[in-house]
Amino acid sequence: MSDTTAHKFRSARDEAPLARYALIAFAVIGVGVLVAAPLLAVFVEALADGAAAAVASLGNRDAASAIKLTLLIAAIAVPLNALFGVAAAWFITKFDFRGKAFLITLIDLPFSVSPVVAGLCIVLMFGTNSLVGGWLVASGYPVVFALPGIVLATMFVTFPFVARELIPVMVEQGRAEEEAALTLGASGFRVFWTVTLPNIRWALLYGVLLSNARAMGEFGAVAVVSGKIRGETATMPITIEMLYNEYLSVAAFSMAAVLTLLALVTLMLKTALEVRHADQLAANHRH
Amino acid sequence: MGRPLIHRSPMPGLGLSMGITLTMLSLVVLLPIGALLLKGANFGVAGIWETVNRERVWAALFLSFRLSLFAALFNLVFGVILAWVLVRYRFAGRRLLDAAVDLPFALPTAVAGIALTALYAPNGAFGALAAEIGWKIAYTQWGIFIALVFVGLPFVTRTVQPVVEEIEAEVEEASATLGASRLYTLRRVVLPMLAPAALTGFALSLARAVGEYGSVIFIAGNIPLKTEIAPLLIVIQLEEFNYDGAAAIGIAMLVISFAMLLAINLIGVWSRRRIGYV
Repeated sequence: MSDTTAHKFRSARDEAPLARYALIAFAVIGVGVLVAAPLLAVFVEALADGAAAAVASLGNRDAASAIKLTLLIAAIAVPLNALFGVAAAWFITKFDFRGKAFLITLIDLPFSVSPVVAGLCIVLMFGTNSLVGGWLVASGYPVVFALPGIVLATMFVTFPFVARELIPVMVEQGRAEEEAALTLGASGFRVFWTVTLPNIRWALLYGVLLSNARAMGEFGAVAVVSGKIRGETATMPITIEMLYNEYLSVAAFSMAAVLTLLALVTLMLKTALEVRHADQLAANHRH
Repeated sequence: MGRPLIHRSPMPGLGLSMGITLTMLSLVVLLPIGALLLKGANFGVAGIWETVNRERVWAALFLSFRLSLFAALFNLVFGVILAWVLVRYRFAGRRLLDAAVDLPFALPTAVAGIALTALYAPNGAFGALAAEIGWKIAYTQWGIFIALVFVGLPFVTRTVQPVVEEIEAEVEEASATLGASRLYTLRRVVLPMLAPAALTGFALSLARAVGEYGSVIFIAGNIPLKTEIAPLLIVIQLEEFNYDGAAAIGIAMLVISFAMLLAINLIGVWSRRRIGYV
């Protein structure tokens, strides 16, 4: 830059103003094109024939059944994963044992497995021609192409979320508070309820939030195990695919808009948690 | 050897927490993966090779891993810049930009898939623009690339951001007082500090892209040998009730992804040792 006055006020940690503006513009345009534009496209396409058509497309029995099924799956899978996350975090952070790193790797495994492969694993384990699956079908409890299979697939892909949020927070908080409560004669359950839980509640909520968003939106794993039976095993994302492939664009995008609104609410709650309870969230403890 | 398997601890709930953890982990994750590996073992290495060693499967595997690598590389560069901009600069709408970065995590993949297709199809907003210069995006490998960039976008940013926040002012100032230009400081002082986190984000982004299905299949066009991704091939085998074929491709994908992640981790260890920064 030619003007020397600008130099005088620039700290050693700043880029030249021109570079700064260029980088900001690059970031804003990049996120705008890559992220904001698809978001906008969902609503534009849903409202292509007007708001009334969009709402009407959600009013039929198949759509209602898909919404109910997705809510039911989340209502089963998310609490179970929260239970697992709390138990795993307690086991890993309150006790010292061999193979801890290996256990954490195993818990993280679903993140590096394709959702389609996850669904495939469940089909191979519980499908009609597997040992376990054949017996279950014979006893009248089919897993694949039925609710249990979809719940299992959903749990598989969301498995690490809660544990991953809780473990760093609980490592940081240590065991001293719990030990103090124990020496004062509190029962194990009371220690967890009155000492540990208040310390981890925001991290727990954060993990549940992420887990829920993924559970309601999971497509690949569910597509493999659901069998896509309309009105029975078609979740919201599966219904979106079916409608889209039938060229029912408004109906597909209207249902997509419902899930998009859910995603936006999730993001807002997540951001609010990050702003208000930053000190109690794992995301801010990663170094 | 002298170390006990589990140390004695006054903490309550050992049996309960260990029981829940191991039971659920086994039921939900380990046994199903075991079922896949068992299927593979029954099928044998030769059987897997026979299934995988076909032009269509190779084409799909090569396409998936190649485009995932390109998308992850794009996200590596863009993610580091984004993290830098979000931490270092103050401008109107910064918080909104920060929140928007997480949208690909929150938005269901099928929704992203049809939205991207609507945008980049020849009659879509961006697709029509590209068509003007004769560039076809949707239903070509470009479309797959864009979908993979979308799903992998937050990883590098989110791993690098906390590291940028931690950089001490003194480090950059020392470099500046020793006469380094800003660009030199960024290249030789700042980037090496960000490298391990950026590499972790890159690996996560890559792993996610390789397995991605929902956001890709709508925009890909799914033409065999040209725009057919490996996960779709598994779905097709399953729809034909060819479980052996599906398992063989699934195992091939698992093996290649783990090999890639291992290689990236080794590069990370090596670069950390070389740069001497943890």
